[in-house]
Amino acid sequence: MAHNRSMPSITRIYLIEDDRTVLHFVQHALALRPDWRLVGHSETFAHARIMAPNSLADVYLVDLGLPDGRGEDMLRLLALTKPEAELLVFTVFGDESRLIHALQSGATGYVLKGCNATELIEAIEQICAGGAPISPLLARLLLKQLRNNAPAQVAENGSAIPALSERETEVLKLVAQGYVNKEIATRLGIGTATVSTHIKNLYRKLAVHTRVQVVRAAQERGLL
Amino acid sequence: MRGLPPLVPRPEPSAGRVPNYVWVALLLLGLLWALHSVSRPTAPEGSVTLRHALASLPQQPQEPPQRVALPHILDDQPAAWWGQVDYQIEWPRELHYDDPAQTRLALLLPRVGTRFRVLLNGQEIYQVGWYAAPERNILSAWFPYLVNLPPGLLQPNPQHNTLHIQVQGQLLERSGLWPLQIGYHGSLFERHQVLEVWQVKGTWMMLISSLLMGLLSLHLWRTLRERLFLLMALAALAHTVRLALSVSLEPVLSYGWYFYVHRLAFTWYVGFFLLFVAELLAFRDRLVRGLAWFLIAFGPFWLAWTLHTQNYDFYRLWAGVLAACGAISLLWLLLKARQRGAFDADQILVLMVAAFTLATGVRDFLVVQLNFPGDADLRWTSLGSLALLFTLSWVLAQRATASTREVYRLNQSLAGTVAKREAELRQAFEQLRASEQQRAIEGERRRLMRDMHDGLGSQLVQTLNMVRSQRDTLDAGSVESMIHHALEELRLMLDSLEPMEGDLATILGTFRQRVEPALAAAGIELDWQVQDVPALPSLDAQGVMHLFRCMQEIFANVVKHAQARRVCVRTRHDAAHVYLSVTDDGVGLQRPQTRLAHQRGLGNLRARAGKLGAELRFFNARPGTGVEFAFPIFRTLTPEAVDTAPPVK
Repeated sequence: MAHNRSMPSITRIYLIEDDRTVLHFVQHALALRPDWRLVGHSETFAHARIMAPNSLADVYLVDLGLPDGRGEDMLRLLALTKPEAELLVFTVFGDESRLIHALQSGATGYVLKGCNATELIEAIEQICAGGAPISPLLARLLLKQLRNNAPAQVAENGSAIPALSERETEVLKLVAQGYVNKEIATRLGIGTATVSTHIKNLYRKLAVHTRVQVVRAAQERGLL
Repeated sequence: MRGLPPLVPRPEPSAGRVPNYVWVALLLLGLLWALHSVSRPTAPEGSVTLRHALASLPQQPQEPPQRVALPHILDDQPAAWWGQVDYQIEWPRELHYDDPAQTRLALLLPRVGTRFRVLLNGQEIYQVGWYAAPERNILSAWFPYLVNLPPGLLQPNPQHNTLHIQVQGQLLERSGLWPLQIGYHGSLFERHQVLEVWQVKGTWMMLISSLLMGLLSLHLWRTLRERLFLLMALAALAHTVRLALSVSLEPVLSYGWYFYVHRLAFTWYVGFFLLFVAELLAFRDRLVRGLAWFLIAFGPFWLAWTLHTQNYDFYRLWAGVLAACGAISLLWLLLKARQRGAFDADQILVLMVAAFTLATGVRDFLVVQLNFPGDADLRWTSLGSLALLFTLSWVLAQRATASTREVYRLNQSLAGTVAKREAELRQAFEQLRASEQQRAIEGERRRLMRDMHDGLGSQLVQTLNMVRSQRDTLDAGSVESMIHHALEELRLMLDSLEPMEGDLATILGTFRQRVEPALAAAGIELDWQVQDVPALPSLDAQGVMHLFRCMQEIFANVVKHAQARRVCVRTRHDAAHVYLSVTDDGVGLQRPQTRLAHQRGLGNLRARAGKLGAELRFFNARPGTGVEFAFPIFRTLTPEAVDTAPPVK
């Protein structure tokens, strides 16, 4: 399954973040790309819960530390209501132990808060182009979690955990060893974009668990 | 020999409850009455007891018949009587009949032998062992016989009947003829049944009981190793042998051996029994033990002498010695026990039953050996001995039960103590673990504080000082760069806390993420040749931080001084080590101005590598410089590392 969709001419961004300086930073960064739009901003979980799912945004930047709710819950909600949107976690440290929960909740990538404007734009471009940044430690955690799962293996709550393909495993191994996408592409004899696609698939597989769970809960409540 | 302590707690009879010995006393009295009534010399109705006979010696026809009183025991007669004797029975006047053909008469011989035959009017009508070869050992005297008088042989006039009982004696055995009864078959049949039960069936039952008790005691002795059980077993088994020989019409042993074993078994029974009682009453009394050992040790010789001399008086004397030793011992123990204070219920019981047994023994001695009045057909001693064995077994069973109960109680108490200690140990262990954990947390906290102080803290202080000192000419770019450094420092520290599980490749990859932008900015290309290597336990959170610092130092040198364009990071391993090398293609250590800084950095690198347990090596990469860490795969922790490092996961 490929996610190399063509870049939309206008990228719509929604920011869920209580820190005003970050809002200013994002606005400042977007000045570099006049064709992108900040289409919405929520400072609280309550506001975002109502507004964000109804937005036409393509990319959501979600802060995990909202004052009135958990970022992971917001990710779950958006994963269900906006399955085609990219969900980027906005984090200060990129600490993997917390990040992996966010990814399991449906995030498709993350951006470090300390980055400069160019880096932010690049991260968003990268994810829209079908790639997602992934750290060696995160790759290692994913490997550990997904590597030995047989296709039919069933998690505690009854949903199936998808298994890794051989190529995905190779990609993850190299990421875990510190190689960047370009090096991985060279080593495996594939294109850089393909590497990005594999990584993005990994993110999806990680969150499948959450998506199935959310859909099931929605069905039970008669929402779907 | 290991034994139970003499003061094993026994269940005390509660007040108001009748002690066991009272019931046993009643039972024994009942037994005495039954014995007395069974062995009372009475003639059943319709029968006559004959107490005299005309005795003659068939080998000496010249001797006139003598009228003798029954029992007539051949051992007590002169030697001429020790062979065959013919007893002519006078037909009693009160026994008459009208029609012989309609008359069912019988003769009851409670004790006769050791071989005999009965002749009615010259015709043999019954015999036991009469025609057996002389060397065979036939002992008819242990059994009662009921002999039918065939009506066809009876004379029309009762007084014309002649009745002869011929006996072959066996020296040393009490052979001869005892009082007999003649009368109607029906009444004598019942009497015969009673005698059969007491003499034969009763003996068999006693034999089996005694054997069982002996084997059981032997087993208990093997299990508990208490001397009492062994003495009990020996006494019971000796008694068993005696009883087994007493119910055989033809024992397998020749008469000499039979006499010896039978009498010796009884002697040893008495000896071991006395030892047992002395032991049971917890007296190590020398008199009783001396008497008992005298009987056990001296008996075989005395009996051999008796056998040799063929003089029954010697055995009679020995039987008296046995009775006397038993009586003296029991009286002596009784006196000693009284001196020591009150008896407990078991001791009273044993003494009472022993006295009963002694009484039966004395009675038998008087009636059988000394011909006192009484029915010698029944030996009371057998029953007395059985009662004694039962009592002793009961007492022993109680002791065994009490000891088992005690062991159970001790086990319970032990289990309780063990459980308590276990709980204490677990608690202590938990405390220890908690304090260990606390210590590890403290250590980690100190390390973090140190790292923050040296890294992040100093970065922030530098930034602050710069902002203060250059307030007017502040360069935003410099401030941004310094704050960016501080943030990177903080991220590095947080990275080190991630669970990397000693995976060198991932640790280096994480470091690469942090350092790559700086390298790119400096125009240095990174050649990444990292491969999976075995996990290194030394790379815990603290180890990771040390490694990060080392790498920072090396890369800082490369960026600032080496003038390199390319840096290669490589990992590999062999059986003993994991190697990490960083090489650049710069100017190396040639330039003097770089030496000082490098030496300082070198010291830091060496110190950190030491804490990681790794060997550090610098080499010339031609061009450029190389640094190599060699981590032992099975590193033993140094005391210093143990002291400061948190536990390795």
